Parts: sequence; C-alpha cells; structure tokens
Amino acid sequence: MNDTYDAIVIGAGHNGLVTAAYLAKAGRRVLVLERRELIGGATVTEEIHPGFKFDTGAHSITRLHPAVVADLRLAAHGLEVLPLDPTVFAPGPNGEHLLLWRKPADTATSIGELSPADAAGWPGFTALVAKASRLLETVAETTPPDVLSKKLKDNWVMLRLAGRLRRLGKRDMVEVLRILPMTVVELLDEWFETDLLKGTLGAAGITGMSQGPMAAGTAHLFLHQHIGTREGALRSALRARGGIGGLAAALAKAAQGHGATIRTNAWVERITVEDGRATGVALVSGEEIAGRLVVSGVDPKRTYCDLLDPMNLDVEFLRRVRNIRFKGVCARVNLALGELPDFACLPGAGPHLRGLISVSPSLDYLERAFDDAKYGDFSREPYLEAVIPSLTDDSLAPAGKHVMSILVQYAPYDLKGGVWDDAKREALGDRVVETLSRYAPNLEAAVLHRQVLTPLDLEAVFGLTEGNIYHGEMTLDQLFLMRPVPGWARYRAPLAGLYLCGAGTHPGGGVTGTPGYNAAREILRDARR
Amino acid sequence: MGAEKRYDAVIIGGGHNGLVTAAYLARAGKRVVVLEQRPRVGGSAVTEEIYPGFKFSSLSYVVSLLRPEIIRELELPRHGLELLPLESTLTPLPNGDHLVRWADHDLTRRELYRHSPKDAEAYDDFGKLMYHLAFAMKPILGIVPPDPTSLSPKDLRSLLKLSKHYRGLPAEQFYALCKLMTMSAADYLDEWFETEPLKATMSASGIIGTFLGVRSPGTAYVLLHHYMGEIDGVFRAWGFAKGGTGAVSEAIAAAARERGAEIRTETVVERVIVKSGRAVGVALDGGDEIYARVVVSGVDPKLSFLKLVDSKDLPSDFVDAIRRYKIRGSSGKVNLALSELPNLTCRPGVGPHLRGAISISPSIEYMERAYDDAKYGSFSRHPYMDIIIPSMIDPGMAPPGQHVMSIFCQYAPFELKGGWDDTQREAFGDAVVDTLTEFAPNLKRAILHRHVVTPWEMQEEYGLTQGNIFHGELSLHQLFFNRPAHPWADYRTPIKRYYQCGSGTHPGGGITGASGRLAALNILKDW
Repeated sequence: MNDTYDAIVIGAGHNGLVTAAYLAKAGRRVLVLERRELIGGATVTEEIHPGFKFDTGAHSITRLHPAVVADLRLAAHGLEVLPLDPTVFAPGPNGEHLLLWRKPADTATSIGELSPADAAGWPGFTALVAKASRLLETVAETTPPDVLSKKLKDNWVMLRLAGRLRRLGKRDMVEVLRILPMTVVELLDEWFETDLLKGTLGAAGITGMSQGPMAAGTAHLFLHQHIGTREGALRSALRARGGIGGLAAALAKAAQGHGATIRTNAWVERITVEDGRATGVALVSGEEIAGRLVVSGVDPKRTYCDLLDPMNLDVEFLRRVRNIRFKGVCARVNLALGELPDFACLPGAGPHLRGLISVSPSLDYLERAFDDAKYGDFSREPYLEAVIPSLTDDSLAPAGKHVMSILVQYAPYDLKGGVWDDAKREALGDRVVETLSRYAPNLEAAVLHRQVLTPLDLEAVFGLTEGNIYHGEMTLDQLFLMRPVPGWARYRAPLAGLYLCGAGTHPGGGVTGTPGYNAAREILRDARR
Repeated sequence: MGAEKRYDAVIIGGGHNGLVTAAYLARAGKRVVVLEQRPRVGGSAVTEEIYPGFKFSSLSYVVSLLRPEIIRELELPRHGLELLPLESTLTPLPNGDHLVRWADHDLTRRELYRHSPKDAEAYDDFGKLMYHLAFAMKPILGIVPPDPTSLSPKDLRSLLKLSKHYRGLPAEQFYALCKLMTMSAADYLDEWFETEPLKATMSASGIIGTFLGVRSPGTAYVLLHHYMGEIDGVFRAWGFAKGGTGAVSEAIAAAARERGAEIRTETVVERVIVKSGRAVGVALDGGDEIYARVVVSGVDPKLSFLKLVDSKDLPSDFVDAIRRYKIRGSSGKVNLALSELPNLTCRPGVGPHLRGAISISPSIEYMERAYDDAKYGSFSRHPYMDIIIPSMIDPGMAPPGQHVMSIFCQYAPFELKGGWDDTQREAFGDAVVDTLTEFAPNLKRAILHRHVVTPWEMQEEYGLTQGNIFHGELSLHQLFFNRPAHPWADYRTPIKRYYQCGSGTHPGGGITGASGRLAALNILKDW
C-alpha cells in the first residue's frame, strides 16, 4: 500500500484536473487517476490518422473561468487560446449565408444582407444576452445554497443572489426572469424574423439536449452558453493551440507544478469505504490506494452506481441518482481532408472557414431533426457544428491538408429497433457527409479518413453515461439546486470523504472549469473546519 | 346618444369570471352591470341547444377547479348548481385492451395490477405525494401575485411569507415541487410508472389548452390539478354540471342578479371610454355609452388592451408586453348528437365506464405525434381526445334513447397552414370521428348531427383570441407576476379604474372563478 494521499481525484478530465491543481496548490498531496492512456477526458486531442490530430471529444472551449486561468497560470504552462473570428459561418438552404463576427458591427452587416430589421435588433438582443448571462455567471460561480436550511449563511447566499438580480434594475430583472424558463424559439421569435439567423442562434440552446428548440429550458441553455462572452459576440468559441488537449496539458502541468501526481492507465474499479467514510480507491488491477478524500470527476451515475457499493447509500438517494436523465443525443464525426470544403454559398478558402460552421437553416429544421430522435432514429437532416482547426493551427495536419471535427445532433443513445453497430455507425457517418456536401459539394471527395463516434462510442471511450456530453442533461429540472440530484448540489456526497467535481455538478457541462473550481473551494472549506 | 344611468361597475363579458366578479361586487352593495355580446351568459362556459333536443356544452365541458369558497360564498347550490361526479377515465388501446381508472381507489388498484403490479404500488405513493404538493401549492393560487421587483412592504411581506412557506416544506416535497414546475409530464411520470397508457393519459392533462407536447418541460405541474379538488372535500377535481357547463354560469349569474346586478346580453362593447388616464365607462357598438366608476374586463388581455382601449392610453412597454403575450390556440371541440351509444371494442356494451371520461391517449408516442403535426401547422391526423357522454350522467341533455357526446380534441392549431375554412373544419371533424371509430366501430353510423368548433370559431364566435381556451398560454413565463404582464398582475391596469378579471390574470385557466374572485376583492380594496 502506498502512502496516504490527501486527495485522490478520479478522472483526468478538465474539471478533475482543475480541482486537483487547486488542492495541490493549497498544499495537499494529490493523486489523479485516469483510466485511459492519455489525460484530458473529453478535452483531448488524438492522432487518429497518421499526421492528423483531432479533438475527439469537445472541439472548442466554451469559456474558461477567469480565476482558473489566472490562479493556475495556464498561459505560463503553455495554454494559448485562439478566439475564432468569425464565430460562426452558417450556410443557408437557398445559397445565402450568415456570418457572426466578434465585432457586433460586422455581424450586423452580415445580418443586414438577410434582413435590415434583424440587423437593427442585433445590438438590443446582444445587450440582453449579456445582461442575462452576467447574472448566470454569478449563479454559476456560487455554490448552490441549502435553501431549506435555516442557517444564517445559507440565507445570506440567497440574499446575495437576490441582490445581484435586483442590481439589474427593475426592468431587466423582470425581463431576465421572464426569458429564463422560455423556449429558445419563443425568445428568438420576439426579436428576429430570419430563419437562418434564428436557427443558428437557437442551435446554442439545444446542444447536448434531448429536446428540440420548442422545449422550455432551451432559452436558459442558450444564455448559459453565453456566460462570459463579450457583448455582441454570440456563439463565440475558443480553441487551444495544439488542439483542445492543449488545455488539459496546461492544467496537468499546473497541477504537477504544485506537486500533484497524475497516473494514466489507472482504472478505478471502486471507491473503498470503511465505517461510512470513503478511504480511497481500488483499481481494476487490484491495487488499492488510500486517500483521505476521494473526489470524483466522472459523472454522478457512474460515481454512485458503479464506483460505490449501493449498500453505502440511502435508497431514496439512489432512486434520485437513477432518475437523472442522460439521454445522449450527440455524435461526433472527425474527417481528415485532402482539401478544404468549398461552400457553394461562399466559395473559396476565406476567413469564413475559421469559425464554427453551423448547419442550422431554421428552428423548424432543428425541431424536425429532434423529431426523428424522439422516436429513436438519428436525424434525417441533422444539425451540424463543424470546425476546421487546422486552418489556424498548422500543427494539426500535414501541409495543405486539414482536419474537420463535427458535432452531430441528433443521434439518440437508445436506437429504436437496434443498437449502434458498425452498419448504423457508418450510416450516420454517411448521413453527415451527405448533409454537409449539400452545402459544400467537394467535401465527399475530399475525405481521406473518417472517424465516427456514436453516443455508445462516447460512452465507451470517454466514460460518458449514455454518451451525454454534459454528464447529465442541462434541463431546468437538473440544474442548480437539483444538480446532480436535489438536496446534494453542494459538491459533497452523502458519504463522508467523497466529493464530486465534474460537469454533473453545478453549473454543468461545457469546457469551463467552473464545476472543478467550485468543488475545490468547497473541499478546502470543509478541510479548514 | 343617451347617457344612461350610472353604475358603480361595468363588466365587459359575461363569462364565468366576469360573472363571479359581478356577483362579488354586487354582494358588496355595488351597482353592477354585465355586458355580454352573445345571446346567453357563460362565455366559454355555456350550454347550447344547437340541434333541437340535444344540449351541448359547446366549449368547456367539465368543471375542473371551481373554487369551493366561491361555491360557498355565492351559495351556488341554492342557485341551481349541481355537480355530478365523473366516475372513471377509460383509455381504449389499439390492441383491444384498455386501462380504466375509477373513482373507487380499490378498483383502480386492481386494474393497474393487471397492467403492472409495480405501477399499482407506485400509484398510491404518487397519490400521497401529489396530495401533499397540491396542499403546498394552494397558497399561491389564492393570493394576488407579489411583485418581486417592488420594495414595498406589502410585496416584501408577501414574498417573505411565500418563501417561508415553501422553505418550511419537508425536503422531499420541496424538491418534488421544483421538479414539477420544470419537468415535462411524461418525464416526471417516467420516474414513477411504466404502463404506457397510464403515463399517456395522466400526462394529457398537462397539455390541455397548451401548445406543448407531453414531453415539453413545464407540463408536469398540471398533474397536481387532479389532486387539488380532493383537498377541498369536493369529489375529484373533475365533475360535470347538471344541465351542462352553462349551468355553472347560470348559477353564478343568478347569484349576481339576486344581489342586484344587471346582466345584458347581446350587448357588444366597442371600446372603453378613457378620460384623462381614467376609465369612465364603455361605448357600445350601437353608439350608446354606459358610465361607471370602474370598468372591469373579463375578456382576454389582447382584447382588453389592444382592441378595447387606444394604445395611446397605455405605456408603450406594456403594449409591447401584451403584443408578445402568447395566446396560440391549440384545441378544438367536436360535439355529436348520437342515435345510440358508442360500442367500444375494448369494452363492448353499455356500462358504468360510459358515465366517465374516455381518453384517446394510448401511448406517449401517440401524444407526441399528435403534437408534431401541430408544430408544423397541421391539425393532428390522430388527435388526443378527451370524451364524455353528458347524457349518460344527466339524461336531460338529449332526447330519450339518444345521446350527446362531447369531444375535446388536440391539436388543432389556430395558425393552420392555409388557414381555417369550412373544408378544413370538416376535415378536422373527420379526423376526429375516424380516429374514434377505430375504437368504437358503430360511432360513424350513430351520428345524427356534428358540431365542429375549431380555434377559428372559438375566436370568431366566442371571442377567444386565437381560440386559446385559457386566455393566454399557461407557460411559466406567463404565470404569476407575469400574467398577463409585469407589473400589472394585480388585476389593475395602467389605466386608472380599468381592471381585468379574466383567465388572462393570475391564476388563470379552467373554470375556477379564482381570477374573478381575486379581481373583485382587489377592486373593493381600491374602492
């Protein structure tokens, strides 16, 4: 048996690494255990085809918690963040196109070509999004209070949130409260008329959701995705140089710099428990490692149902965990390309290819894509979000060639009348290439190599239950006080010495580091007691 | 133009909420006149003899949550209100089986056991939890919504009281309530049950009158409504008024008249007369004017603020808010006069099941597909239906040996692709009858008369904007302090002495009378 660690972090995903780094920075002896041979979890860059490096999981950074970047000195550890500009290029169904830029004025110009009225509405809309997401930012950085507690401290947290809400001013406060529970369709219909614009914005409200844009809660997800975005730059995404794995590498260096140990190929089989307290972990290899605390970066269902003996948990609590909805709907297609796609609506290799390429011609298109999934099939016409990182980063592909990562929605985890076998997987891959080829006819011929990851593959490769990229759906009933389960939203588990730090905790999914940051704060707070 | 006698209050619209407000104001000694554009009072709560001898509850067909305090305070039974229970809900299935839930708890349990012992067990626990939650929700329905942006002692006190109430709940109930407010009915029921028709039929209550599917978040909350009636010691939440739904309105009207209220039918209000920012009366379409100290609108917010008053008299952000207010109609009504009872394949012959509701909701997928049609502007090819046969409960509704059947059907979007016309209306009627005939093969030949009401008729004949039966969708962002628009959720309006009392105000929807009563109490407070 090894020396006892102060904390064992299960999973070297980006949130696990953030928590590990903070604990190490606070002087704890930390061990991070990663099942795969490389770190990063879903923020990983892999060379799937010789010479071609892909972000196989997440392909962009939503927004990093600024404190994480500063406290862990990520830049010094090699993280170089590249903002995408334009943020989005959306080819339209009738030869038109839309470009969203970081500069609101440029975006308004592009929108103006489709609808002057929508261009006029742009500044007002982005201002509202900025206000709402600033409020959500405060909420995201706050540990959900124990609302039922009578303690002064919990009351204080709630009052502080209420105060922050009030600071918006009467009018904006009501407006924000009004739009939070809406559908993204309702929200966008109030502002815009152009289908392509509404579809392209609305896509941010459905990513990772087993819901269409006509479902309540999608407006919230839309706003949540815009936490911390600069006013006017919607759907803005960041990339890391060297691929998103560059983020994991920088976080790992930061953690190691503070003395943390990271072991790969270390598959945790279970969390060991003695006298109602987590005492460490046992690996599949049979090795047991003792730790004063165990912090799980994997999703709540895996943590509680797979890694723990159910005997250690309350029946009602377990029922709640089993009721967490995952319902993965995303697949990924990674393409090695011999040449750049040439879009009919905007030919050539212009700057438009540097942003997210969004196939989202209308809200109806997105809703119909969901309809197929609702009945257990993948979308006949899927929503696609593609990125060609090799355009801005030549380390990712051989000269003149390119890599393209595509997020595909909807591909339901539970297929009706079958499972995700090789035939289904390739059928999905074909569907995606066909769909994109409708806009960029040369694509099909340009594909040198193709990797398709179905939700089942995402589960197998990354350990994401049901392939849900957020460690649990981001619906209103699974957020804040209710994430991962009602009553246990404060990063602590109902077992002494066990904590959660992954995207299954508040504030949820996306590459932000915020769950890991919040978890570390709570762990250290308990330790001081 | 003869100025007529002066009233204390003029109420626009003799729907059930308008009548409730009138009755309460009259009870407080005010001189009240109710103006109804149709030949009879009731608005959507009306019984009409469309074919001789056959009485239809043309629109609203069950009494859902009529507030017990209103029944008590207005002494409605003395004025002729008699509520008859609906005994059961039967869901026929395409495979010839069925699921039936009875008012008798043991019978239901036995039936559920046949489908799933697990569900039979869970049903009891579910019922208990819902009962407690319905109890916990009650305070919300009975108060004027506090304004969360206001720092006035009244609003703060009210907010504090609510927060104390909810935080005083046991954790299990508190979180269950949070989930109910945010989840879809189908997802919530998935956590409890496995029997498809049970989940589909229960979740159907969550979509009635909304433009949502059973898998749309926000639909779970309505599950509570079915348990609210029980708290007040009223049999179930759903009942049938003897004489049809119009009898409810008639009873309230009688209570109002007894206290001196005047009710004029076939009187169309053209606009509210506003002088220096204050409502002083109404102008009728004939040119007559009626003056009163206060004007109360029982019609929906779109009509109240965009049609009856000049937008110049309203703040522009309020007008914007009312323009944004969502009021899409999604349901239709088919009323049938029948020469004989429907003979259900799944349960042939005449039996007690025909005295209850029949729900065409065999599975969640069926419900969702019905919704999908509507999302893209068509009516459902196979609609969800909630059916009752009033003549089985109250023989007076049809000639001896013959019957009336009331079919509530969803979805029928107001914004139909190509628009509603006679052909589309009858095509919709056919879709309903054809679907139902799959479960009761004799139905088609038993039909003597058919009366199809689409959202278009609801708007044109009954004055419901876009045919929305709730005067505005009951989605989270249009409830409580946002119903119909902040900060005018307290029955007042930006125009002094102009009030609103219809379903477009808190708590809204259904034949509850709650909006009408709260409005009256608030008006009296201002008096």
